[in-house]
Amino acid sequence: MTPSSRFPVFAIVFGIVFAVVYVIAVEKNFALFTYHPAIGAFGAGVQEGKDGPAMYWYGWLATSGIIAVVAGALASFLPASVTRALKPGWTWVVGAIVMAVFVWLLRNFFLR
Amino acid sequence: MNTTTVLLIIHGLLAVALLGAITHQAVSIWAPARKPAGASFIARARSVPGTTYGDAVVVLYLLTFVFGGIIYADYRIEVRTVVEQLGLWSQNGAFELKEHFAAVGLGLLPVYWYYWRQPLAPEHARTRAGLTTMLAFIVWWNFLVGHVLNNIRGFGS
Repeated sequence: MTPSSRFPVFAIVFGIVFAVVYVIAVEKNFALFTYHPAIGAFGAGVQEGKDGPAMYWYGWLATSGIIAVVAGALASFLPASVTRALKPGWTWVVGAIVMAVFVWLLRNFFLR
Repeated sequence: MNTTTVLLIIHGLLAVALLGAITHQAVSIWAPARKPAGASFIARARSVPGTTYGDAVVVLYLLTFVFGGIIYADYRIEVRTVVEQLGLWSQNGAFELKEHFAAVGLGLLPVYWYYWRQPLAPEHARTRAGLTTMLAFIVWWNFLVGHVLNNIRGFGS
């Protein structure tokens, strides 16, 4: 399979935006939807648990995925003179930073 | 054996395959064989070409992620509740990191796939090394944490 010449721009922007939006979505709880595992039901946006805990992880993934796809698609239509500055190595560096942020955010689990 | 247990076993088997593929690729980057492979297990593992694993890693990561996502709801009800009641906070936190690390890895797959396509661009060797190392860390973390949580409350418990 031969991807479009615009694909690397999409992939780089998608990778960076997905990681950054994901950590913001988790910290601010911007879940696109909520899943209620006890009753097997979905609800729009952030909801309280129904008959059990509420799960936001799927909603955080949806929020991040949609925003990252849109950002990547928009970036792929920018002129090459602009996107030339994008470096693919930024994706894993940003990913590593986001993972470190999660370790910091969840540190109390390990300090009890 | 209920459906969740079957899905958990499939998730685990996919994770084993993914662990093997990404580890082979990481070893081929960080400790490549400098001369023809010797007879030892280590020498043969180091001589494996990392280029052959790109597509497999992407497919296995996606499948493992999907199966993990399906059984996650049952984990939330059946396992996490017990882990909290037992006061196993480190284990609980490790699983929280697992779900977030898995998501970060998911976002890296398109760029990982692109830069591992044949023929490899020599100028992007550091990008490939960084991405593969990140994914290898995520896969190893998630595999070990999943294994520990399964030992706490897994099959048949």
